Amino acid sequence: MLKGKTSLDVTQVENFIFDMTKCIKCKGCTWVDHIYMPGVKFSTRCPSATRYLFDSYGAYGKMRIGLALVEGRLDYSHELLKILYACTLCGACDVGCKRNLDLEIELTLEALRIKAVKDGKGPMPQHKKIAQDILTEHNRFGAPHQNRTKWLPEGIKPSPKADVLYFVGCSASYTNPEIAQATVKILDASGTPFMLMPDEWCCGNLLYSVGMVDEARELARRNVDMVKQAGATTLLTSCAECYRMWKVDYPKMLGISTADLGFRVVHLVEYVDELMKKGTLKLTNRIDLRLTYHDSCSLSRLSEPWVPWKGERGLWGMVNPPLDRRRGTNGVYQQPRDILKAIPGVELVEMPRMRENAFCCGAGRGTMEAFPDFALWAAEQRLAEVKEVGAEAVVSACPWCKDNFAKVVSKNGEKLKVFDISELVLASVEV
Amino acid sequence: MAISQETYQVLESIVGPEYISANPVICEGYRAGPGGYECGSGYERVMTKVPGCVIMPRTTEEVQKIVKVCNRYKIPYVPYSTGFYGARSHPHVSDELLIDLKRMNDFELDEKHLYAVVEPGIIYSQLQEEAMRRGMYIVVGGGGSQVSAIANMIGDGWSPLSYRIGLPHRRILGTELVLPDGELVKLGSLALQGDPFWGEGLGPDLRGLLRGFTGLRGCLGIVTKMAIKLLPFQPERLEPTGISPHTTLQLPTNRVKWINFSMPSKDAMKEAMYEMSKAEIGAGVTKVPIFWRVIAKAKSKEEFWKLWSKENEETLSSFHVLRVLLIGFASEEQLEYEERVLTDIITELGGEARRTRPSDESWFKNADAAGMWLMCGGYVSVDYVIETIEHAIPHGENYAQLKKSFTPPLMPDYGDPGWFQSFELSHQGYSEFLVYWDPDENTDRVDHFYLETSKENIRKRFYTSLLGPHQPLYLTGPAYGPNYHKWLLAVKGEFDPNFVCHPPVPLAHDAFVEQAEWMKPLKDWESPKIRQKK
Ligand SMILES: Cc1cc2nc3c(=O)[nH]c(=O)nc-3n(C[C@H](O)[C@@H](O)[C@@H](O)COP(=O)(O)OP(=O)(O)OC[C@H]3O[C@@H](n4cnc5c(N)ncnc54)[C@H](O)[C@@H]3O)c2cc1C
Ligand code: SF4
Ligand code: SF4
Repeated sequence: MLKGKTSLDVTQVENFIFDMTKCIKCKGCTWVDHIYMPGVKFSTRCPSATRYLFDSYGAYGKMRIGLALVEGRLDYSHELLKILYACTLCGACDVGCKRNLDLEIELTLEALRIKAVKDGKGPMPQHKKIAQDILTEHNRFGAPHQNRTKWLPEGIKPSPKADVLYFVGCSASYTNPEIAQATVKILDASGTPFMLMPDEWCCGNLLYSVGMVDEARELARRNVDMVKQAGATTLLTSCAECYRMWKVDYPKMLGISTADLGFRVVHLVEYVDELMKKGTLKLTNRIDLRLTYHDSCSLSRLSEPWVPWKGERGLWGMVNPPLDRRRGTNGVYQQPRDILKAIPGVELVEMPRMRENAFCCGAGRGTMEAFPDFALWAAEQRLAEVKEVGAEAVVSACPWCKDNFAKVVSKNGEKLKVFDISELVLASVEV
Repeated sequence: MAISQETYQVLESIVGPEYISANPVICEGYRAGPGGYECGSGYERVMTKVPGCVIMPRTTEEVQKIVKVCNRYKIPYVPYSTGFYGARSHPHVSDELLIDLKRMNDFELDEKHLYAVVEPGIIYSQLQEEAMRRGMYIVVGGGGSQVSAIANMIGDGWSPLSYRIGLPHRRILGTELVLPDGELVKLGSLALQGDPFWGEGLGPDLRGLLRGFTGLRGCLGIVTKMAIKLLPFQPERLEPTGISPHTTLQLPTNRVKWINFSMPSKDAMKEAMYEMSKAEIGAGVTKVPIFWRVIAKAKSKEEFWKLWSKENEETLSSFHVLRVLLIGFASEEQLEYEERVLTDIITELGGEARRTRPSDESWFKNADAAGMWLMCGGYVSVDYVIETIEHAIPHGENYAQLKKSFTPPLMPDYGDPGWFQSFELSHQGYSEFLVYWDPDENTDRVDHFYLETSKENIRKRFYTSLLGPHQPLYLTGPAYGPNYHKWLLAVKGEFDPNFVCHPPVPLAHDAFVEQAEWMKPLKDWESPKIRQKK
């Protein structure tokens, strides 16, 4: 649809034909913002285009291929599905594009995957297996559901009723329990009562990411209802991917604004930052470490609140009513840095690609499952940057990133340390 | 598959299977439009084709081999560095081989002799950062920090910073060129000692042929390596700040300063440029077209139109803002001195300084040409002249008049005469005429306007730089030559006997006029029939 009624509804790919037709091949989606361009090294921010090299893998290629698909000039094929799915939906292209233009690139990429599923061609076979696990065991690892709370450390008791509900997520429940443990210990140390969901299920991240929007919406409804029933006013996550689901994709799928969820969604780093600034939490233990911080896409450039929009597009492509576009400006960038800087002994060094220019770790949005080599390659690229700035450790605020970096470090037998930020905060407050 | 199995296998053996594809999905990803420079116009719709095959060489030797194979099997090919230059950078005939040069991204910098050796995959912002880090700089063409430095150097290469430096001809040093038939030529000093420090002599110097005023758009071979002259800068860092979309370079104002001046008239602006040049001060200068300011201010397309609709012919005709860049190359005192001289010049001419932000978001490292598409979605610069200042000013005014009768479909711009500035300390004047339109409306008259600009140039004797590759050669050649077209075609024939290098350039616009029904009424010149493979 080029003119006339349109909306941001990702289940109708026609809403994004305008965006697909207006891509100008400037490749602002692939290069680091030129103002921050660090030179010939570390100059791109799109993992897909950097790994597969053909223009077809950059957002400009995806827009052209997507348009041909929608217009019936191309049919599904192995290569086409690879182009749609060997992409971390990391949002670097979206903020890059919106630096100069008003195109909805991330939403277009999501809509194309939803279309692929609707057309019976997507997602990738590996995704289908995990989707099944999510539906039966309520987690993305296919692990027994009854083991979901095994991570809970001794001596920490969640409240039956509290303002803060900690949504642990699949990773911290099963594969990275250290993150869940650190999170609850931090809450405990700050004297924050918190509760867990009586029966926590997966947030549905993979389902939504690969285009299985109907299944994801079901989970969104169920999870939002659970929080409302529990009466929490704050939903806290320690996972960037869960965070984006709750804050952005749930409202998107439910046709409401983030503000209408009925509770606040916060990531641990926002919460800790607030506690520090209030003086309720003090980071006092020394950690002598030169480290760098990796911005997880879903906590940073993809995390701005969602507001549904529908209207008309007219002459010059103008829309009415005006649309306040999510350009990644107000992502959670500063809080984790303030936290790390507040830890005595920590020396925070920035990588050339930081904040909205960060190079995705490669793990998320179905990539690790369907294209593991690509996911590890992306992490390797990022770790090269960590080493370039001479950091001893890389810190992120998402178990997906931590897990992927850790895999590469162990595969290559590197000395580099990989932490989740919750672990460092805990080490600095624990007596 | 568009090209034969046999040819594909030969090409594959050159680069390896990972770096070649004839898969229709991969090839679709290389389509020129529908968005982009000159895209959405009839020219793009009629003249561009999805490539039949894409190949990504890594070395000059590989490029040579590919080109030789193309000659042997008569396969048309087009060099492609980043593809930002829109329709003209893409295949114009079916089953064409697109040679994507992005893997050729080697980079070396010789700090002592102030040059960098780059391959086509290196873009300007990378080069500028590497240079500035070492106390040097380069003029980033206004078309963008995202373009290939080589592709820009052989075609365009100007920005307000060209005021001091001029066009890039002489900044092209030792260069490697794979001729259309695959033969390798090394230009300048590179030819003799493998040392690229010098552009003219001792080896051959084909720079004039390579770029003329504004290049031949890929139809005379492939530049695989170029040494580019860097210029001494000043020592302070231009610090990147802000979060997208509000990112900018903070200027060290003791050394680098932009100052905007309100001038009483266009004449006063012109005089200021001359006077600055006589005094040999300033590092950059331009007249600011008002819509650039509005683009910079607007947070969205909708806001652009809200702000723009407040303008009218009167506000535009009284808007004379001159933007001047001062750099204390040698010292802080240099900047102070130049600012004093500049203030005297401007005061004498009745102008006054406006408050100017101590930052740069448009010219040093980031030229955000992408913003040109914000307001309408369709954009092309239909004409640019590089002549004298006296020539450039009436050129802009004249086109503003002509444009009125084509508005709509062109964007209403209240008679704006486009971009104007001086190059090379005012030895040259520059005028660029930019047009915008809504590509989702009928665009036939946009195509007409493009062609009418040629006729207007001929009628009014404006010296345009957009000759051969951009306009019908048989229209412009006889008028400017009188045998420019014959000469150009003879050169092309000599270098590209099989006519495989980006056909039908330099006759592409002729072919367009021949093929597009709606262009035919405008054809009032003689030309032979262009034979073109569909
Ligand atoms: C919006 C916009 C504004 C512009 N404003 C300015 C400006 O202010 N100043 C300025 O200087 N320029 C300007 N330009 C021109 C622009 O900067 C081109 O010079 C630049 O885009 C070319 O680089 P590219 O990477 O895009 O080349 P491509 O699109 O890859 O190629 C451009 C042409 O060169 C050929 N080519 C590419 N690589 C090679 C090679 N290695 N050897 C031989 N031929 C090759 C291609 O076949 C094609 O015909 C503007 C362009 C646009 C789109
Ligand atoms: S930044 Fe946007 S317009 Fe530019 S190439 Fe990427 S997707 Fe296209
Ligand atoms: S989402 Fe990330 S990986 Fe995918 S095209 Fe955009 S920048 Fe590239």
